[in-house]
Amino acid sequence: MKGRLAFLMAFLLPELPLDPFRGGLGPSLLHPLGLDDLGRDGLLRLLLAASRSLGFASLCALLALGLGLILALGGTRYRGALSALRNLPPLLFLLPLAAALGGLGRLPLAFLLGGLLALHLEAPLRARVAAFRRSPAWLTETVMGAGPASRLRRWAPWGLEQLAPLFPGAWLGALWGEATLSALGLGPGPTHDSLGRILAEELPRLATDPSPLGWAALAAVLALAWTSTPGSVFKVGCGRARGAAQARQGKRRWQ
Amino acid sequence: MRQTLQGAAVWGLGVALALTLPGALWKSAQPPPFPIHALLPAALALVSLSLAAPLAVWAGGPALAARRTLALVEAPPDLLWAALVLALWPAAWGPPGMGGWTLAFLLAALPGEMRWLAQALPAEFPFPAAWGARAVRRARGLALARLWGSWVAARLPLWLTAALVIERLLGVPGLGTDWMDRIARRDRAGLAAWILVLAVLWLLARPLEREAA
Repeated sequence: MKGRLAFLMAFLLPELPLDPFRGGLGPSLLHPLGLDDLGRDGLLRLLLAASRSLGFASLCALLALGLGLILALGGTRYRGALSALRNLPPLLFLLPLAAALGGLGRLPLAFLLGGLLALHLEAPLRARVAAFRRSPAWLTETVMGAGPASRLRRWAPWGLEQLAPLFPGAWLGALWGEATLSALGLGPGPTHDSLGRILAEELPRLATDPSPLGWAALAAVLALAWTSTPGSVFKVGCGRARGAAQARQGKRRWQ
Repeated sequence: MRQTLQGAAVWGLGVALALTLPGALWKSAQPPPFPIHALLPAALALVSLSLAAPLAVWAGGPALAARRTLALVEAPPDLLWAALVLALWPAAWGPPGMGGWTLAFLLAALPGEMRWLAQALPAEFPFPAAWGARAVRRARGLALARLWGSWVAARLPLWLTAALVIERLLGVPGLGTDWMDRIARRDRAGLAAWILVLAVLWLLARPLEREAA
């Protein structure tokens, strides 16, 4: 989780200098992936864009966990409504919205992705919170009248430990959500360079021209998919149903 | 019952939102015709997927869920499969069209569905494994037959998303694009019909959630 959060610093990195007069140069020793149409080094651009995509996904995952926790704490009465909202896959909602608005800005997209992913995180978070609320330690503190500040200090590390396993799934969901929107030309504007944006630029020429940057971007997506934890919310979709299967298997392991 | 009513209220709100969708086109336009031409390929892809995945799981059993190779094929997003089909499609064959779409769709959806079903299968040790291979196959068949309807209903919205992403990347108009076209052209009635379809799918997929509870 800490490693992924470190990519938030990528937003502080400076933009690459533009040099349109050298745009489109092929690969060389100095520029292994060539130069893009605006004269930026392909490899540096890919590294910067990938870091920013990962940082953006971390931001969305943090938002999703926060919102999911709020839903888990207060949304037990509205379980049916949340279930119906969960049934609409996030991308099915985001794609037409982005198309209708002519693309989504970085912050609105982060909040939308966070909110949509939070719906899928609510069920596992509710299970953790419910077990915690019934625990003797918590009940003792409640009876003893411990203040909110002391409770927060005591329980925050435990809470973070509980949230950490849910982070990778939400992170991957946000990563692919943003990449898909950007690859379809519906993501944040040109100021927000990302893996998806590189794909959007390079995909049309992949089949006809040699496009080392495009192939490298595809390889980066594949490498990210293979090295990251499986179980993305977007791929899973009906998270609750999958959770049911996992829970059943878990139960069987106990029996 | 209370949860179903809450869900119905949410879907009702969705239909109301669709019927009162804000915005107007500068020039009045007819609602887009339903992509009937895409129905047959979509039905074929759906039938292939809904038969191939249970058959593979029936043959492979719950062990498929832990198979490393399957996880590797499942991991990449739909976007990658569509991009690979687009990049590797021989130019001499013309644009990828529905053939390319079906290929990308099956590549994107099949491994995930196999894993989903394999995870949902009951364990086979010590029973029915101790009763022999025939009992194991029968137990798998019964479990898959019971799961099939709810599985298709629960996963259809997700397949629609995959179809939409692949259609947009490959430039093939189909069922997923229809959903977006109706928003772009402010076809409120058509959009409400789509939301009603999604609501029916949610109702059909409810048994899976009840099991989880």
